[in-house]
Amino acid sequence: MSHKFVVSNSNKCLGCRICEFVCSATKEKRLDPAFSRIRPVNYEPIGSMAIACLLCEDPACVAACPRDALLKDEKGVIRVDEYKCNGCGWCILACEFGAITLHPTKKVVMTCDLCDGDPECVKHCPFEDALAYATIEEVANKLRKEAVDNMLRVIKAGAKSES
Amino acid sequence: MFGYMGKILRINLTKKTITEEPLEESIARKFLGGRGLGAYILFKELKPGIDPLGPENKLVVATGVITGIPFPGNSGLNVMAKSPLTGIWGEATAKGFFGPELKATGYDAIIIEGKAENPVYLWIHDGEAEIRDASHLWGKPTREVQKLIKAELKDDRVQVGCIGIAGENLVRFANIMFGFNHFAGRTGMGAVMGSKNLKAIAVRGTGKVRYAHEEKLVDLLMEKLISKEALSGPYFPDGLFKYGSLADLGYWQETGRLPTMNFRKCLFPGYENVTAETLTNSPYIIRHNTCPYCTVGCNRITKANNPYQLDPEYATPEYESTAALSTLCMNDNLVATLKAIELCNKYGIDTMSTGVTIAFAMECYEKGLITKKDADGIDLTWGNHEAIIQLVEKIARRQGIGNLLAEGSRKAAEKLGGGAEEFAMHVKGMEFPLHDVRGMKGHGLGIATSNRGACHLQVETDDMFEGNLAPDIGIDEKTFPKEYRDRLYAGPEKVKIAKIIGDLFAVFDSFVICKWTVYPCGGYKTQTLVDVVAAATGWDFTIDELMKTGERIFNLCRAFNAREGITRKDDKLPKRFTEPLPEGPYKGEAFPEDVFERMLTEFYRLRGWDEKTGVPTREKLEELDLGYVADSLENLGIIKPIPQRKR
Repeated sequence: MSHKFVVSNSNKCLGCRICEFVCSATKEKRLDPAFSRIRPVNYEPIGSMAIACLLCEDPACVAACPRDALLKDEKGVIRVDEYKCNGCGWCILACEFGAITLHPTKKVVMTCDLCDGDPECVKHCPFEDALAYATIEEVANKLRKEAVDNMLRVIKAGAKSES
Repeated sequence: MFGYMGKILRINLTKKTITEEPLEESIARKFLGGRGLGAYILFKELKPGIDPLGPENKLVVATGVITGIPFPGNSGLNVMAKSPLTGIWGEATAKGFFGPELKATGYDAIIIEGKAENPVYLWIHDGEAEIRDASHLWGKPTREVQKLIKAELKDDRVQVGCIGIAGENLVRFANIMFGFNHFAGRTGMGAVMGSKNLKAIAVRGTGKVRYAHEEKLVDLLMEKLISKEALSGPYFPDGLFKYGSLADLGYWQETGRLPTMNFRKCLFPGYENVTAETLTNSPYIIRHNTCPYCTVGCNRITKANNPYQLDPEYATPEYESTAALSTLCMNDNLVATLKAIELCNKYGIDTMSTGVTIAFAMECYEKGLITKKDADGIDLTWGNHEAIIQLVEKIARRQGIGNLLAEGSRKAAEKLGGGAEEFAMHVKGMEFPLHDVRGMKGHGLGIATSNRGACHLQVETDDMFEGNLAPDIGIDEKTFPKEYRDRLYAGPEKVKIAKIIGDLFAVFDSFVICKWTVYPCGGYKTQTLVDVVAAATGWDFTIDELMKTGERIFNLCRAFNAREGITRKDDKLPKRFTEPLPEGPYKGEAFPEDVFERMLTEFYRLRGWDEKTGVPTREKLEELDLGYVADSLENLGIIKPIPQRKR
């Protein structure tokens, strides 16, 4: 069974960065988005997407850590042992999604911990379906529906303008 | 100082000097930032009567006290200078990612003076600034300039504010594009940049603002500003997110106040083709767009191939743009309207002034004041969407008839003569917004007395207060019973609301915050924003201080205009509004001159201004800690000295 994680839909995400603020506010009581575990990327004009830890089945970050500071727990969350971590950044390089960042003041790495199964960013995301807490199967199911919906909309609009 | 970066950057393009100045806390508290700070700087530094397009004009780009705090609507910046369109106080706000980025470079504001010899752009990053060559960017459209600068500086996160060819050609209503389709649209700030040979301003910063009570601020934001309940009135999210501001178009049609045929009519037969519902259900919208930390997402991006090719980089419709280029010109072709908007954005001209000026040209054509030959062979019949698109192109390039229209409708009417002044829809030289004020009297007064010419964002008093109140700023049921809040009511209570909102909005343009998020019909409570300022700065900020600051800023801008010769005679509406509405639910409703003049006298009396001249009195200015402004006006002979005054 695959794990639930915070996933962003690039068709719905507008890149407003609310998730980023909510994360630094919840985790660190800070306004500064540099403390956030989730990072939105804006690609104007076609899309935006927020990236948090994807809970890889075989995480490269864990393998890369020379000090065994990163461990995957039973829920799939990557836990950082702040005593072992010295902020060398190998895990940051290893993660293909840029989902790991360096804590601005503590100088240890930080990853998304899913807020113990109830991610605040998902709760506060203002745009429907832009951010979800779901398994990869649920995401795929939703994407299929969306694709069909879009296709039908275009076909119908085309039929209307031709008639 | 908390809440600010505490520094102002001054760049002189003639001398090629870059200097830093401190922002004093006393000035910050008195003027807040944005409009207030700009008015303070420009009143002090500009001599009256200067040429707005000459090197002696200065351009101020200012963020506000709360810019950078992440909550919806709070991402603004204000651009100010003497306006080439109106010859008076010029300002335009823009939202988007530029404002917060500018503040993060370490400066609350930048002042740009002089004129560069050759095209240049500014590169400001983390406390450093340089003037760079922009000859390779000259002549390029807005988005392309932004991309080229980002590539040149090798940083994707650079934010660029730039002008298009219209600004270069000194079109008097040229605008500045900040980031992805956010505009400092009105009063021709783009032409001021163009006159300085300044193509763009690029900023990138990692600086952090220090806040007095950061944890308190975080709690406030989480509880009151970013929660889903915060913006949950009728406008949000079913209104603005689903339909965008364009939803207004259907509302104005329903209520018989949709500006049509250069304000001659108030219902548009083809309106269904250009409503928000039509656009929303069309295949043209590819996605929505938003400002940073905004939960509303009112902006949308469109694309089409037929009958016009639409570039999603530029085709971003909203109400004012769409109505100006469609209903006002009797054009019911949606894609053509989107195309006209796209071109305006690409070349950097204000969609509103452009649309109103084109409608003016169409009426001139109908009346024979512009012939087909004058119009370079273009058939300017009402509704000819090909003509509209051709005119946008010509205005931006100042070609043929475009050269005349690029001067704005007031100057064009003066040149054309033959009674054209009667239907040039402007106040103080700035083209009218797409609001028919015969059906909203307080709004009419607000537009006529606005410090930057016909602007709908200075005072809004009518429809929104009919079903809503704002007790924290004194608009409660007891003081203003329902009949005084009626859209057609034009008595003293309406004027009182206009004054309150005028002062309030002066503060909002100094914060600089989006007006959508502060409207009484579902926006933030003013008290919430006061709490945010107090937590950010550590000041014992109150609503009373906020309102007084607003009044100070409003009066300072008025004093700026008085210095440029603005008096009571300039506070007037176009003559067309004295004619009755020809159709619809408000058929027969006019805005008679005597009703308007009565409101105006009451407005001056409430403001503490001279009822004959409309100039702030010394008493009022001194009450607002603006004694130096009174001295300045007295030295210029604009206000009379008080002889028996004890010094």
